[in-house]
Amino acid sequence: MGREREPGRGSGGPRPAGYYRLARAVLYREAVLFVRYPANAIGGIVIAVFFFGVLFYGGRMVAGRALTDSIEGIIVGYFLWTLSVGAYSAISNDIGSEVQWGTLERHVMTPFGFAPVALLKGLAKVIRTFFTSGIVLGVMLAVTGTTLELNVLTIVFVAGLSITSVLGLGFAAGGITLLYKRIGNWLNLLQFGFVVLVSAPSLDVPWLRVLPLAHGSGLLQRAMLNGTRFWEFPVADLALLVVVAAGYLGAGYLVFQYATRRARRLGVLGDY
Amino acid sequence: MELFPAGTLKAVMATREERSTDAAAGSDPAADGDGAGSVADVPDSGERRRDRRSADVSRSGSEGPEAELPAVAVSGLSKRFGSGPDAVTAVDDVSVEIPQGEIVGLLGPNGAGKTTLIKSILGMVLPDEGSVRLHGIDVREEPRAAYARVDAMLEGARNDYWRLTVRENLRYFAAIGGVDPDSVADRHDRLLDRFGIDSKVDTPVRNLSRGMKQKVSIASVLAGDADVVFLDEPTLGLDVESSRTLQDELRRIAEERGLTVVVSSHDMDVVEAVCDRVLIMSGGRIVADDTVEALLSGSDRHGLRIVSRDIDPALVADLRREFDGVTADTEAGRTRLRVAADTDDLYALMARLRERGVTIDRLDTVEPDLEDVFVELTRDTGEPR
Repeated sequence: MGREREPGRGSGGPRPAGYYRLARAVLYREAVLFVRYPANAIGGIVIAVFFFGVLFYGGRMVAGRALTDSIEGIIVGYFLWTLSVGAYSAISNDIGSEVQWGTLERHVMTPFGFAPVALLKGLAKVIRTFFTSGIVLGVMLAVTGTTLELNVLTIVFVAGLSITSVLGLGFAAGGITLLYKRIGNWLNLLQFGFVVLVSAPSLDVPWLRVLPLAHGSGLLQRAMLNGTRFWEFPVADLALLVVVAAGYLGAGYLVFQYATRRARRLGVLGDY
Repeated sequence: MELFPAGTLKAVMATREERSTDAAAGSDPAADGDGAGSVADVPDSGERRRDRRSADVSRSGSEGPEAELPAVAVSGLSKRFGSGPDAVTAVDDVSVEIPQGEIVGLLGPNGAGKTTLIKSILGMVLPDEGSVRLHGIDVREEPRAAYARVDAMLEGARNDYWRLTVRENLRYFAAIGGVDPDSVADRHDRLLDRFGIDSKVDTPVRNLSRGMKQKVSIASVLAGDADVVFLDEPTLGLDVESSRTLQDELRRIAEERGLTVVVSSHDMDVVEAVCDRVLIMSGGRIVADDTVEALLSGSDRHGLRIVSRDIDPALVADLRREFDGVTADTEAGRTRLRVAADTDDLYALMARLRERGVTIDRLDTVEPDLEDVFVELTRDTGEPR
């Protein structure tokens, strides 16, 4: 029986994939799941809009005009909060799901490294979150009849760096999830703490600006309420935004690496 | 190319071929072995396998210094879980080398340490002691470089995303594994075709049967550029034909690409049919490391099948206390007794039957198969041979 021989390693057979290919694969998967299973995304949007509706109409009944006067700030804060929740769960929930599905080990055994792949997958989810949060923002503006300065570049830049710090927290939570599988659900409660961070008075209490979201939230308010473009912000403000983002992401990365190593030591990596 | 020309298909392992001492052999269905009809299905001889491996290395293009390195080199590997009196030694000072292109079966009872050993080799469990090298690359020191050379199917049908289609899964995991999906598309097509799921490429995996999901997982792992592959229970959920196809594909890929495969399975038939070599673990240690042929020929224990009308339940109970592997079933007044016995056991058994006045209607000896050897080696204390 004649058989055509397959080309082997380094002889015109499989070609190595770089980070570009990896990014394409991860983004493609995210896009496919988003399009093929829209119920999840739509469900998230509906819930976010519902909670905003409760907040807006309920608040108006209680606070009346006081709330209406500050509605722009609430909308910006709510928009950033939905982004934060998406960024936080991007890695932590994803790892929990991979463990549950049985696909985690294939991501551990990647020549790109587990942490970079996890980060890339997190970024893919953040991109998706920008899309869904954008829809939520549009609905909020339509429902309240509010107008905001919507400079997309500035919003993406400031909001992106703001939620990078949360991505770091998600990284850490993902690592802890590897060690203690059931804790992931409890860690999700942290998302409600983001409300405090988003609304933190960082202008009045300067040290709050080193916390995740707080400084970025202030800048985003200025961008969306006053129309400040990102290049118009003081360099020190932008530098702090970058440093806080990098700091929390780096810290989260270290926690993730430590937790992964400990999970390997304990032999619980991938256990469910 | 024909992998196993008829002339070389020597039935080295007549594993289930029975030699009946009964002139009426064939009248008893229990005595029907696979016989000559199974010759075409038995694997190649150990010598041929060794020839194949030496040919593989030259074909795979690894003729340089790397070709001399074992594909897998485990040295003094130990792993304990817990501490104090509750500590469990899952892997105990295991050392083993697997040359490139070899297909190795890893057997052991539950809790023997197989999974911990595999996960330690793959770097998913950090061993307390010892080292692991894949093609000379230390997995602990250079995990990324090592992972470019190795892949594994540890979760069977759960190894893929069920919401993605078959094709999407294969492409995604190729990229995650560091391989350009376009460059292995032909391999994907071929494997899907061989496994009979080529018509399902655009079907979400969740809509496939368990066996099909398993095939997708296997295809995904085998199609990449890894030259060491670990397969945990690869035939779980596969029908007989699919299992045969998998065996063929493993042999083909091992031959053509010099792929090194470690198969952990409780399916002795698959291991016996496809593996060049078998590692048997018990109590965290490797208690046997040899070719299938050597393991079978080295076993002193044979199965004895005795048919008599004089064997009553009380005698069976007595024999169970005294001998290993005693099974019995009674039909139409005749009891068929099976006992695993070495030479000493044989004499003792005959003496006991004679003592109890048993007239033997029929006596068969059954050549030990891998399962018998496995039971023999893992039954006792787990001490190495």
